[in-house]
Amino acid sequence: MDRKAVKLQLERLREAAARRKVDFAEIRCAAVAHSALMLQDGRADRVGAGRRTGMGVRVLSNGAWGFASTESLDESDWLASLEDALDMARVSAVRMDEPVVLPDTPGVVDDVQTSFEIDPTSVSLDRTLAAVKGYEEASGRHACHSLANLMTGYNDAHQVEIVCNTRGSLISSETVRTLLWHAITTQNGSLRQRCREVRAGQTGFELVEQTPAAHFSVEAARRAVSLLSAPPAPAGKFPAVFDPSIAGLLVHEALGHNTEADSVLTGQSILDGKLGKKIAADCISVVDDSDIPGSWGSYQYDSEGTPGGRRTLIEKGVLKSFLHSLETAGKMGVEPTGSARADGFAHRPIVRMSNTMILPGQSSLEDLLADIDLGILLRAGQWGYVWCEKGQYTCHAGEGIMIRNGQLAEKVRDVSVSGMVLETLANALDVSRDFELKMPGNCGKDGQGMAVNGGGPYVKVREIVVGGQA
Amino acid sequence: MSRAGTDDLLRVAEIACEAAVKAGAEFADAFAERGRDLSVSVEKNAIGSTDARLRSSISVRTFVAGGTGWWSASTTSEETAREAGLKSAELARAAEPDPDFVSLVSPAPYPLVEGLYDERLASLGGPDVASWMIENIDSALGAAPDAVVSGQADAHTREHALANSLGVRAAQRTTRAAIYVQVILRRNGDVGTFYEWDSARRLVDLTPAGLGAKAAAEAARYLGSQTIKTATLPVVFGPLAARALFLGLCSAASAEDIQRKRSFLVGKKNEAIASEHITLVDDALVPGGLLSGTFDGDGAAHGPVTLVDRGTLCTYLHSNYTATKSGEANTGHATRLGIAPTNIRPTPGMKTAAEIIGEVDDGIYVVLGRPSPETASGQISALVDAGFRIEKGALTYPLKNTMVAGHALEWLGSLDAVSSDYREEPGLILPTVRIPSVRVASED
Repeated sequence: MDRKAVKLQLERLREAAARRKVDFAEIRCAAVAHSALMLQDGRADRVGAGRRTGMGVRVLSNGAWGFASTESLDESDWLASLEDALDMARVSAVRMDEPVVLPDTPGVVDDVQTSFEIDPTSVSLDRTLAAVKGYEEASGRHACHSLANLMTGYNDAHQVEIVCNTRGSLISSETVRTLLWHAITTQNGSLRQRCREVRAGQTGFELVEQTPAAHFSVEAARRAVSLLSAPPAPAGKFPAVFDPSIAGLLVHEALGHNTEADSVLTGQSILDGKLGKKIAADCISVVDDSDIPGSWGSYQYDSEGTPGGRRTLIEKGVLKSFLHSLETAGKMGVEPTGSARADGFAHRPIVRMSNTMILPGQSSLEDLLADIDLGILLRAGQWGYVWCEKGQYTCHAGEGIMIRNGQLAEKVRDVSVSGMVLETLANALDVSRDFELKMPGNCGKDGQGMAVNGGGPYVKVREIVVGGQA
Repeated sequence: MSRAGTDDLLRVAEIACEAAVKAGAEFADAFAERGRDLSVSVEKNAIGSTDARLRSSISVRTFVAGGTGWWSASTTSEETAREAGLKSAELARAAEPDPDFVSLVSPAPYPLVEGLYDERLASLGGPDVASWMIENIDSALGAAPDAVVSGQADAHTREHALANSLGVRAAQRTTRAAIYVQVILRRNGDVGTFYEWDSARRLVDLTPAGLGAKAAAEAARYLGSQTIKTATLPVVFGPLAARALFLGLCSAASAEDIQRKRSFLVGKKNEAIASEHITLVDDALVPGGLLSGTFDGDGAAHGPVTLVDRGTLCTYLHSNYTATKSGEANTGHATRLGIAPTNIRPTPGMKTAAEIIGEVDDGIYVVLGRPSPETASGQISALVDAGFRIEKGALTYPLKNTMVAGHALEWLGSLDAVSSDYREEPGLILPTVRIPSVRVASED
């Protein structure tokens, strides 16, 4: 992308939007170059790359939103998209709530980029392949006779996004992301177990250099082998301890989505009306922080051009704030939090999390386990989802370890849990001083994916429903 | 959107293949597409935003000694096609050889599938799509004045073309409309919520009216939810929950997962994997079907496949690669990235859904949930997103914080009823099913 030329083209489109007397317009142009390599059972038989470019324009006209996007970079197509967006705003106006009024925010002109040590484009395919094969071989060696299948992948992406709006903002953000994933299937008779590990960050190829197999692919192999001799998880309600990855999954799914102010304003969040109130135990403090260098969910400016930052959502159990876009901040009369993010140029910004985490406490894991006679430690968070309006969530753990008389006992497999958000938060008993932010993922909302991260300490809860079989 | 049909997309795909072969590829195929999406989002009884998207892309797969290189871009110009062919060939040379790759699909006639493109749907504008949502906001509020309505309506138009270096030339135009309406009722500190949806490839198959009223009526039924005792119970899965179960089963029949030994259906071909009540046909040729089409991601002709016949797994779902590798017939289920089922059509049974529920003395009815088996292990552990307690043959109260768990083969092997009546969506048959013994976990 010729950034100088694109900026000029964006500014011309901004002027065209201003001439149409819009309340607000924001134009985003992005170019992403990506590459991927996948090994299956020792062979790198799929190597790929590509690029995606395009522009999205959002207008607020007479208090109603319209959006249009195109994958063309031609100025004439951009002008046509502006007309489409204006048409779409007229459609929205047919049945709108109160006209949208955005808060006054200053325009920002800036060029930012994530820092990295090794540019992925400078790394030869042979070097990448050797590293990825190393992960796969180490995992295979560990699994040995129980090995059924190995898959290992490497992906990198270089994105330039330029945001231009009628407040005068013109911000260029350059991001480099690198991701490693490994999946292993083990087998013992008819029993199969598949375990997966992901390492990802806004880093260059140094992610690979800094990720030894023992802490990545072998971790998955170790789990997949051990689960072959583990019984199924029990069914019912148990005291539980979440490891940092499950805590990250929980805080994202169960709490985080409910703190997104668009969900609050549209009547979908269970936290509507609870600002300033106690909604969790004293030991629970939660932040969303887009400012963590190198983390998968970080960014400096959101897709509306508002600076990101560290936002306290819960402090010692009290709900302190929501996550906001310009629109939701305007409606609630607060400052925007820089939480409006769009999944590329082809989607409009919506309120999203970044790196969301429960803050650590003072206890050790042993302290948390000590008085549990029969419970379960949930580890290796995999996936989850929430029904915001009901506050009902579920999470899937890669493995469980039974807690018996305050000690970790046997492993159990196939563990999903469910709970009611406010009950779980109120039933938190303690959190550990050990802390990890290591749950990078692609969160889905309204048809858009988004890079987020989650984490926390070990969290002890009084009881949770375990969807097991025993 | 071009009104000239798909000829220019086919030409772009041909150019990419030619460029790949010229750059040293032994085989190449290219997939070019473009489309237009219109979306109207509703937030709290009003339109929140209306979006229009134009999209296009080309992806090229190139093979050298079986190693695959692929390259994709978001424009479909002839210049981009040449670049894509060249770069994918470079990547294929860097990939490691795969001796199991033999060839790409050869040209063959394609079946005719009616009803995948609707000129009327393709010509819809934003106001038309918005009118569906406005009507549903009003119908929900008519049924429940305190309803909080959200949702989305979409109209999609797509043209795509596939060419390969062996002379395959395939193209298709499709349309699709979808409406999703969710209603939340908050009464006396309690919450009831439900969603309704409709989707079709042509307007004649779409019934946009009344979804809001239906969702509102259903949402009211979910007020007053309760937990139950952890127990082993008969579970009746309604049409949408049963679909998740069947979809998970059919996905696990992917020959790629079988050959890579990462499916619980490894070694199960021609074996009983379910009770005799289950016959599943995967048919991509159903006129107007949501997942219908004439050709798959390799350019092979689609066709109907009996996947499970009275409980016996008859075949795996194949792509050209997996079929060649195993020496079995290609079932035409390739996507550009793997293998996937199309329209899954269970054969209806003898009892109505009401009769199936009526025979349960003590159990639960799962309306919404994702009881889909994990592909490798076949294990299921899923939240009941929406469901009811069954007592003495009747639905008594809605469930809260309740999970179901088990193994897919145990569930399917013991499945004792498939309903004679079913929800039908274009191409899809969605019956109710019953499994007599399922571990159900809840708070009590």
